Amino acid sequence: MKLRTFLILSILSFGLFVGVTLISARLPFPMTEQALAGKLVWQRHNCVSCHTLFGNGGYVGDDLTHVATKETPAYLINYLVQPPVMRPNKLAHHPALNEMDAVNLVHYLEFVQTIPTLGWPPQREKAEKDS
Amino acid sequence: MKLLKWFSFRGKGDKSIARKQQFIAQKISRRYCFSAVSFFALQSVVALLGSLDLVIPDLPSPIPFEFGRAIHLGLADLWPLIGTMGMVFFFTTAELNREIYSPRLARWQYWIVMLFSVSIFGTLALRIGNGREFLEGMPIFYVGICLALALASYNLIRTLLTDKRNITPASATMTVGIIFLFLLLLPNTITYRNPITDEVTKFWVVHLWEEMAFELTSAGFIATFYVVSGLAPRAQVEKWLYLEASMAVVGGFYGTGHHYYWIGFPAVWLAVGSLVSVVEVIPVGMLAIMTYKGLKSVKVRSNREKLTLWLLLSSVFYHLTGASLLGLFITIPWVNLYMHGTYVTSGHAHLALFGSLGFVVLAGCYYILSRGSEPTLKGYKRGVLAVCLLNGGLITMASALLVAGFMETYFWRILGMDFMEVRLLINPYLIMRVLGGAMFTLGNLLLSWRIFKAWQTTKYKK
Ligand code: HEM
Ligand code: HEM
Repeated sequence: MKLRTFLILSILSFGLFVGVTLISARLPFPMTEQALAGKLVWQRHNCVSCHTLFGNGGYVGDDLTHVATKETPAYLINYLVQPPVMRPNKLAHHPALNEMDAVNLVHYLEFVQTIPTLGWPPQREKAEKDS
Repeated sequence: MKLLKWFSFRGKGDKSIARKQQFIAQKISRRYCFSAVSFFALQSVVALLGSLDLVIPDLPSPIPFEFGRAIHLGLADLWPLIGTMGMVFFFTTAELNREIYSPRLARWQYWIVMLFSVSIFGTLALRIGNGREFLEGMPIFYVGICLALALASYNLIRTLLTDKRNITPASATMTVGIIFLFLLLLPNTITYRNPITDEVTKFWVVHLWEEMAFELTSAGFIATFYVVSGLAPRAQVEKWLYLEASMAVVGGFYGTGHHYYWIGFPAVWLAVGSLVSVVEVIPVGMLAIMTYKGLKSVKVRSNREKLTLWLLLSSVFYHLTGASLLGLFITIPWVNLYMHGTYVTSGHAHLALFGSLGFVVLAGCYYILSRGSEPTLKGYKRGVLAVCLLNGGLITMASALLVAGFMETYFWRILGMDFMEVRLLINPYLIMRVLGGAMFTLGNLLLSWRIFKAWQTTKYKK
């Protein structure tokens, strides 16, 4: 095989790959400003170190992709503003947010759960069937 | 310490050219390698503390876990990057048997990549970041890393173009690897509204850096090393290298599909990701066969080359097992559906990222920093001990993570138990991970010390 063939193959693969990826990455619904603000809260506090969205992230806490279908907004906001002690700690609390950040974050989580994930995570279907 | 005569890389047709002086680029590459090894040592210590934090309730810590983990992940990308930059300069000059286009640019590039890497770790320690996994630093710092990669790409392209008729496959493959590192990081220097685009561009680094661009740079290094140490004839290496590289590129790109399964992408990616991932593992098989053949035929080597080889062989081992076999297993969509987002991923991540990439970079860094010296027998034995500890630690750590992951898969994903209950169940395995991590850290510090000693003995020569 020649260098030229390798280069052409590389450039073509790269171009086509970027193209199809960007086409596939379209959102089903546009994101509201509040959800966007919530996304920035998520990023600023590095929530991804302990939680996953779409299964990507840390393993300390539960996956949050569909948490907004399981809990009410009021519960989630309260949890974040007045965080409880985290098991198995006796003292350490879950990191806290201020009220506005918490509201925005919950908007973001409500947006995230509208993104179709092809049936992942599997136990969600089970929970829905049970109820 | 016994000083061997400088031996140089054989040019085309396997003739040895004894050379007295070292290229400036090779001298500069030493500081890249030295910094990479130092960051690696730092990473283990940070990681060990982080893993302790997960099993000791209420452990006080100046840096909270969420930012400590970010530093650990940042280091996991950046020390192999810095080491790779050094390796590419070193082995490109060795392959082409001439200086790179601009040693001055290479020096600038070093300070730029170091400045921005340290800025990333420093700001994360102060709890300032952008919260995208693996790329947690502020986007502006990644602009700096991109700048360093752009300089490297420019420098290498100019180097190759200076003598167009003498471009060897290894040097071309390494250059293309560096260009891809640059192109794939570039989209991560801007911010996106769309969370799906965020995930996607992140995987262009997490997946495409590790499984494509770094594969190219490592392939170039391994090819050069095999030719030099007589493990494989140059003609054979050159015959296969572009083919291997092409498969790594095509397989790497479309294999990214295995990260696109559940992030809001159309279902066609389930098919693309799982089928093309098979292509990704073919070059690994070819590499393993070449290594096996070489080892059967060649016996005598210096201790320095032997220690390099131990590191490389470790890499080949994890490349086959932890990266390819385990990777392929979790790529199967029905398996991934249940294992995605559990500790199984973390087990694979450690086996693949450190096991196959980390070991290669360490091999290169050791080889470069020890050039011109030969370890004493005691030094060599300690080096081998360090490699054993690293392997033992990694295997213990990864096995613990895999068991924890399988338990999560079963109890949490399949039976639908509460996450926190399962988390408490797997605690013993997380403790085992800490023990593995401690062994790993010990090996890491021992190896870093050996490399430091080698660096010291060769520092003022030439
Ligand atoms: C040198 C080679 C490799 C490296 C360095 C590597 C590294 C990684 C890392 C760091 C992750 C974790 C990503 C995250 O946490 O989000 C990962 C995940 C993954 N890797 Fe690899 N990998 C390698 C080879 C492979 C191969 C050859 C395959 C398959 C053929 C593969 C399949 C996967 C899959 C399917 C996941 C996603 C797991 C999940 O669903 O969470 N990997 N890899
Ligand atoms: C002393 C050795 C090490 C220990 C104790 C350790 C520990 C850890 C811990 C605690 C996490 C976070 C997992 C979680 O969120 O629960 C992690 C993640 C990770 N570490 Fe390490 N680590 C070590 C060495 C390394 C090395 C040498 C590398 C690569 C060069 C590496 C690459 C990674 C990656 C890629 C992740 C993310 C995994 C994922 O998201 O799937 N680690 N490690």
